[in-house]
Amino acid sequence: MHEQRDFDRFLHAVDVDGAIAETSHQRQLVLSRRGLLAGALAGPGALLLGGSEARAASGLSANDVGILNYALVLEYLQASFYTEAERSGALSGKTAQAAQVVGATERAHVKAFQKLLGAKAVKRPLFDFQGVTEAQQAFLKTAVAFEDLAVAAYKGQAPKLQSNAVLAAAVGIHSVEARHAAWVRELFGVTPAVNAFDKPATKQSINHIVASTHFIVAHPKMKARSRPQYTG
Amino acid sequence: MTLLRLAAALAVVIAISLLWAGLGDSHRQKAEPSAAAYESLPTAPAPALRVGRPERLSSSRFSSRWTTVRRPTLARSRPSASASVVAELSTRAPEGTPNALSVIATRADAQGRVWVEVRLPVLPNGMRGWVPRHSLGAYQTLDTRLVVDRSALRATLYRDGKPIFAAPVGVGTSYWPTPAGRFIVRSELTRYASPFYGPVAFGTSARSAVLTDWPDGGFVGIHGTNEPELIPGRVSHGCVRMRNSDIVRLAELMPVGTPILIR
Amino acid sequence: MAPSAAETRTTDARSRLQLIVAGGVGLTAASPILRALLGTGAADAASKSEDLRILQLVLLLEYTQVALYERALNEASLTGELRDFAQIALGHERQHLAAVKQALGSKAGPKPRFEFGLKTKSADAFRETAIKLEDIAVAGYNGQATNLTKPTLAVAAEIVSVEARHAAWVRAIADEVAAPDPVDKPMTASEVAAGLREIGLRTS
Repeated sequence: MHEQRDFDRFLHAVDVDGAIAETSHQRQLVLSRRGLLAGALAGPGALLLGGSEARAASGLSANDVGILNYALVLEYLQASFYTEAERSGALSGKTAQAAQVVGATERAHVKAFQKLLGAKAVKRPLFDFQGVTEAQQAFLKTAVAFEDLAVAAYKGQAPKLQSNAVLAAAVGIHSVEARHAAWVRELFGVTPAVNAFDKPATKQSINHIVASTHFIVAHPKMKARSRPQYTG
Repeated sequence: MTLLRLAAALAVVIAISLLWAGLGDSHRQKAEPSAAAYESLPTAPAPALRVGRPERLSSSRFSSRWTTVRRPTLARSRPSASASVVAELSTRAPEGTPNALSVIATRADAQGRVWVEVRLPVLPNGMRGWVPRHSLGAYQTLDTRLVVDRSALRATLYRDGKPIFAAPVGVGTSYWPTPAGRFIVRSELTRYASPFYGPVAFGTSARSAVLTDWPDGGFVGIHGTNEPELIPGRVSHGCVRMRNSDIVRLAELMPVGTPILIR
Repeated sequence: MAPSAAETRTTDARSRLQLIVAGGVGLTAASPILRALLGTGAADAASKSEDLRILQLVLLLEYTQVALYERALNEASLTGELRDFAQIALGHERQHLAAVKQALGSKAGPKPRFEFGLKTKSADAFRETAIKLEDIAVAGYNGQATNLTKPTLAVAAEIVSVEARHAAWVRAIADEVAAPDPVDKPMTASEVAAGLREIGLRTS
């Protein structure tokens, strides 16, 4: 399947320690074998924020608005992912509990970003998760990838923030995403903390990875001008 | 490379000594910095983002899901590639819009492949079938529901279980009855310049059991009319007709994908 | 033998911290470094010296973490996943410690003493203490984020998420909710110092 290949490439790209490739049910010491983002740099994902929404919102610089919106897209992605998974009924046990708690947190993050950005907030994209919210193992695999991705993304942007108040907020969220990452790794059966130093990721690489999943899709156009052919 | 490293190491040593010397006594080496040193460090500013209390998902009693057909597929009687085929599904509805389907359930098989049970826009009305997840697009969740009561000749739109709109309707005559059952609003047509259908026409997945030779297969619509005096009444070929002001109001409140119950 | 990717990364982080402390970035002439140190305004100089003050506290934090894990592995009869955690976390903290030590160079304070008492004598006590200490680490790093110069912040960011992973991991081992809060609150440097003393750090 075409999209299965794309998704596998996505998992491969964020598979810091081979954890996702080698599903392990036993605790094992897994050392990093390759960088966080295997090579590929491409243009920004079509539907993600490439530049910035420019104008300042409530005293925020254009630079910071751009970074906040970029983070908001990742929060939308996570919140929608956990919400859909919880509603699917496919999760059980500790995994189901984790999805509830983490989902509630990500939804709270989304609200906070939307509140701060106001009219400048990007709209929630439409996500097509293609089944990874509907089967427990696929869910865990994807959760590991998403959380590691979020950690790297926040880390990459934090030093670029101009406002100290935004930076203070960002670091407080960044470390929570790292807790999430360890949590879902533990549930998946791989080492929760592999390296002594977690690497940052650039906006470009994150955009590329997310775009490669094809999870963000256009809203289908359900309105038309065709002449009705109904029975009348 | 080694020479550069040496130069760098030397630079570092020089730099640190200069830094040390340049900053004066207060930074002289101590076993550990005094408490005063910590207190003089600025406290972190109030964070720009205030994250509220995380909330669990609310009950989904009144919510429903719909999706579109992403690639042509076969709907089967059971969630298995070896089950009998019940219907073929294409990506477009006859009106040219993406083919919208109500999602009933999803199930992962032993290999982790996900199957989705959907309502089928085929005769007999009420058919369901299973399709592979990858043949479908994004799920969208709604909390609206339209109920058409053929005996009361009334349509009511509910949101989260509460009625938010109601209007008298014209339904099919006894020769061309409006079918009963569960369906989906799958398109919204406008600006087609046909007064017979009024200003707005919603396509549904409901089919006339009688007018099977009708163009496009005989699907039932919900639309306006150029004969409002007939409403309410049993007057149509199966469609649900509303007065034009009512259908316009309904269009403001009812998104495509809304499930329909006709009873 | 070529260094593993993990080792290379550690070396990168250490040498980066070192160069940051020196105020320079390039590997070439000394003059850009001197210029950076002497030519910039008071605010920059204050930030760099502030980095050093903060790193002194970070040094104590990392010393404490190394000591706690070392001692617990010897005394607490750790088994199973808790033991695995302690071993892996110890490895990480040793790398953090090495990086901070190298950055401070001769300015690094001496290794402090520790009195952990019963905290390292049993698995339960160790687990509870590890959670506390990792949470202090996260809150401490987060609390200083806005005080650090950007280059040092970048390195601190690489460390703090690992501490957060540790905290979640050991909570999961303890069957607690691994990430109970939607946001991690910061601690001031004084609060961190007090927290470390409470756990067992002795500096005099």
